[in-house]
Amino acid sequence: MALIEARQLVKTFGDGQRSVEALRGVDLAVEEGEIFGVIGLSGAGKSTLIRCLNRLERPTSGQVMIEGRDLTAMSESELRQSRRRMGMIFQHFDLLSSRTAAGNVSFPLETAGQPQKLIKPRVDELLELVGLTDKAGAYPSQLSGGQKQRVGIARALAVRPRILLCDEATSALDPRTTKSILALIEDVKNRLGLTVVLITHQMAVIAQICDRVAVMDNGRIVESGPVIEVFTRPGHPTSQSFVDEVINQTDSAAGLGCQPKGDLVRLLYTGRLAREPLLSTLGQRFQVEAAILQGRVDQIKGAPFGTLLLDLAGPEEGRRQALAYLKSLELTVKVLNHDADA
Amino acid sequence: MTLTPNFWPMLQTASLETLYMVSVSAALTTLLGLPLGVALVVTRPGHIVGRLWRVNSSLGAAINALRSVPFIIFMVAILDWVRLLVGTGIGPTAVIIPLTLAATAFMARVAESALLEVPHGVIEAAQSAGATTWQIIWHVLLPEARPGLIQAVTITVINLIGCSAMAGAIGGGGLGDLGIRYGYQRHLLDVLWATVLILMVWVQVIQSLGDRVADHFRS
Repeated sequence: MALIEARQLVKTFGDGQRSVEALRGVDLAVEEGEIFGVIGLSGAGKSTLIRCLNRLERPTSGQVMIEGRDLTAMSESELRQSRRRMGMIFQHFDLLSSRTAAGNVSFPLETAGQPQKLIKPRVDELLELVGLTDKAGAYPSQLSGGQKQRVGIARALAVRPRILLCDEATSALDPRTTKSILALIEDVKNRLGLTVVLITHQMAVIAQICDRVAVMDNGRIVESGPVIEVFTRPGHPTSQSFVDEVINQTDSAAGLGCQPKGDLVRLLYTGRLAREPLLSTLGQRFQVEAAILQGRVDQIKGAPFGTLLLDLAGPEEGRRQALAYLKSLELTVKVLNHDADA
Repeated sequence: MTLTPNFWPMLQTASLETLYMVSVSAALTTLLGLPLGVALVVTRPGHIVGRLWRVNSSLGAAINALRSVPFIIFMVAILDWVRLLVGTGIGPTAVIIPLTLAATAFMARVAESALLEVPHGVIEAAQSAGATTWQIIWHVLLPEARPGLIQAVTITVINLIGCSAMAGAIGGGGLGDLGIRYGYQRHLLDVLWATVLILMVWVQVIQSLGDRVADHFRS
């Protein structure tokens, strides 16, 4: 059974002519222990979706099941109990400006009614977990964006939730800080055995830490699957454009400003193959010259993910065999011009 | 130039009367106005108890009604009830009732606008942490809006000083009474200007005190 499940979730804002359908029937299942990413452009409905998961937004119809219990049918007090099983962090951190870092972290412990003498050591432990021990007495206005989000994470984890919801948690941060916050999220997830749902509009965020991803467009999930699969075989134009954002590929020779001598071939490969001497194999076995027009290796969840644009030149038979050989490997091959088939 | 006979004792008595009227009604106003301000905010549609929006609209209408009557007319209008309640319609104690009522309506609105400054995200963060409505009011709304609320109390008190002077005109006693009866009607300019000066100094002192306390809580 999935830890978090959304069934046919619909959310309509307003009514009559001016109503907006933010969610148009979303199904989602997040398994225990994974980092699940939801990506979409602004207005796609991803923020509404994550806010439905702890009922900050009440769905118009459909169900949200958390640990097998229907959140939409809960009373206020049951809901509060369930919310304590789910920490949440926010794009704008949303810390209490009247409290210090330590005061913010102790807030959920106080409202959960924990005795004062247990709160202090727990707050120290949490601040240490997020690396902010020396900022315990600082007010949010004295902290940088990254430090504020660390406080946000410590606060979210204070009452030992099983789930961490991240609502655009890195969108207000610079790229370097984004990386360190994501690394922290992954670290606490592993250490505490959390399940993480994060939403973002940045594919780089998905690539860095997510196990699976759902792509949202116009209130619907248009594609979902393991991150590596969505990267290598995006099945929807929206997914494709998000993937392009990270690997920045050009699918035409004209886009590169040159005339290919032979077959223009794009290779997408992962894992072990990224370390294979592919090009020399092509030359030695098939007498095919492979010129690299474009290429890069990215990291997806710590594993190498390479993209290469090759110009294969040589005798026709050799080229055919070379393509057949490439296609037999664990990689995605796309022939962009069709000389080979002619 | 010589001062009006009894100049100093008159000023002293009047000052103490005003001080009494203003401080008692300020205390009562804060006690009543602050909770009303909180109620006006949290019952707004979309706020933490937005389902009580009917309370919000009735409360808002009542406050608007109260605030739309000029204070001096309001005072006269409720005179009979005041007599019933405290046994007399004149003097500082009688004036405290209309002063408190009018200032409470004012306070509720300025407290409301201070409380609305608390970002919605901060409230949602508390909600998502499983906080109850009371916990959000007590641990989030009030402390987060503290500087604004202190400013709200400050301008309410200043407003009360002004109203208490007006109350003096119809027998409420205090500096306003002194200023009108001696300063204006008997044309004793030293008394008139002395009351003006005292009121000015008080307002200055209260405003800068309020600013300083509010700044202290801005972090």
